[in-house]
Amino acid sequence: MAQSSSASDLSPWTALLLLAPLTAVMLLILIYPLGLTVWTSLYNGRFSFDAYVELASSTLFLRVLRNTFEIAIGGTLVSLIVGYPVALHLAAQPPRRRTAYLIMVMLPFWTSILVKSFALVAVFGNQGLINQFLGFVSGGTLNVPMMFNRVGVILGMINFLLPFMILSILGSLLALDRRLILAAETMGAGPLRIFWKITLPLSLPGVLAGVLINVTLSIGMYITPALLGGRQDMMVANLVDFYTRQTLDWTAASATAVALLILSGLLVALLGKVRGSAGLAGAGA
Amino acid sequence: MNELFGSSRVARGLVSSMAWLCYAFLLVPSLIVIPISFGNPGQIEFPPRQFSLELYRQFFTDAAWWGSTVQSLIVACLTTLATLVLAVPAAYALARSRLPGRAGLQGLFMMPMLVPVIVLGLGLYLQYSNWGLLDTTAGLVLAHVMLTTPYIMVSVMSGLSHSDVALETVASIMGASRLRIFFRVVLPQLKTSIAVGALFAFLMSLDEVVVAYFLTGTDSMTLPVKMYSSLRWELTPVLAAVSTLLTVLSLMIALGIIAMQGKTEASK
Repeated sequence: MAQSSSASDLSPWTALLLLAPLTAVMLLILIYPLGLTVWTSLYNGRFSFDAYVELASSTLFLRVLRNTFEIAIGGTLVSLIVGYPVALHLAAQPPRRRTAYLIMVMLPFWTSILVKSFALVAVFGNQGLINQFLGFVSGGTLNVPMMFNRVGVILGMINFLLPFMILSILGSLLALDRRLILAAETMGAGPLRIFWKITLPLSLPGVLAGVLINVTLSIGMYITPALLGGRQDMMVANLVDFYTRQTLDWTAASATAVALLILSGLLVALLGKVRGSAGLAGAGA
Repeated sequence: MNELFGSSRVARGLVSSMAWLCYAFLLVPSLIVIPISFGNPGQIEFPPRQFSLELYRQFFTDAAWWGSTVQSLIVACLTTLATLVLAVPAAYALARSRLPGRAGLQGLFMMPMLVPVIVLGLGLYLQYSNWGLLDTTAGLVLAHVMLTTPYIMVSVMSGLSHSDVALETVASIMGASRLRIFFRVVLPQLKTSIAVGALFAFLMSLDEVVVAYFLTGTDSMTLPVKMYSSLRWELTPVLAAVSTLLTVLSLMIALGIIAMQGKTEASK
């Protein structure tokens, strides 16, 4: 064994040679700009934490931070409430049919976020499919604004988040030993009791991972609040853009970005603890 | 019988109606753009009251739309090629060497997946404005290489962990050079995982909007950036045609990837 692996092993120099180009690109295009962002937030003629002190006392930043948490947590909760039954439904299907349904669930995952945003406006907008229907039914009196406000952001958000939530819960449900349920049924437990005592507790790891993935993905959202929200629905990522382009205050933009980086770093670390490092792969995109 | 929520008909009915509502929510919006794209060119209309290809004509003849599409395709192709050339040898070196600090390097290659993309957008914007790389194709391709590396890495590493090391050992004992082993023994076994990673990287680059929005201007504007500003400021019906074309393309790529993954699993 030791012999066979040494024969197929690369010499350290060859390995270095193969790794060097990508490492150089990553240092230059990933680490350097991140460092530059931190630097810009701290150094403005002189070295200071002023930018962070200013952020902490800025009503705009605090309001945006509150929005971000409200939207991220609200979106995640809706995604959990909608996603859990879907995961149950998928888990109960025979494998072949499950694959077919899964493709439907994964479709938004493959679709450009801009296409999804446009499509959601076409369905939920003021002249969209649903409001046309409501207007038709009510004789033109009923129009529910569901876009360019908080509802719009949440709709866009869950359209993006649901596949991650569903897949995460489905993983737990499929790993669940079904003989437990059979045994409980044989012993006369009702469906509610079975769900409450067996299915739900055993699926909690998947729920927890799904929730963390959803929160992590949603706190950094930029496109959805910009396109589907109103002016009051600005999130942290939009504030970074606002400081960069509107007020040209790169120091404040960098400090905001660093705050977001730390926040999402904490969430990613937590997720890593919950799912092991392999689980992080699902948090991308 | 052994269903996860017991055998209650009410529970089952509730769960499946909830599930179908959700499938509809995930599916219908993307499908509805298709009939809109063949309808009234004057406004976004569903159900369409006329049939016309006018929106597609506008898309293919308007320099702003078609130009940014060509730019996106160029960027996505260059990105995919460059990432493959950089990441496949690096993944191979990570899998087949005992270099100290491998875990750290792997972490570095995976990191773009874990950093909020807006933070990378801002950092690159600050960097490129110093270096004069703003609004250049090269600058955008570099940024996309960084963003797509983790995905090609994941795919190729998993391919390598399934490939047969013994074949490499045999080739090495029979006197094949390292280079020859890599091209004749390793790469052929990685064909599928490289293709899957490449398709994924291509699609990601083609759809990437946040970084591109920070880094491009009028000279190098990509399709997603053009779509973003159109969604923001004018909401033209041409978007329906663009969306339909993009959805069909993503769907083809997704099905391609699923088919290839299915094939590798079946052969194992």
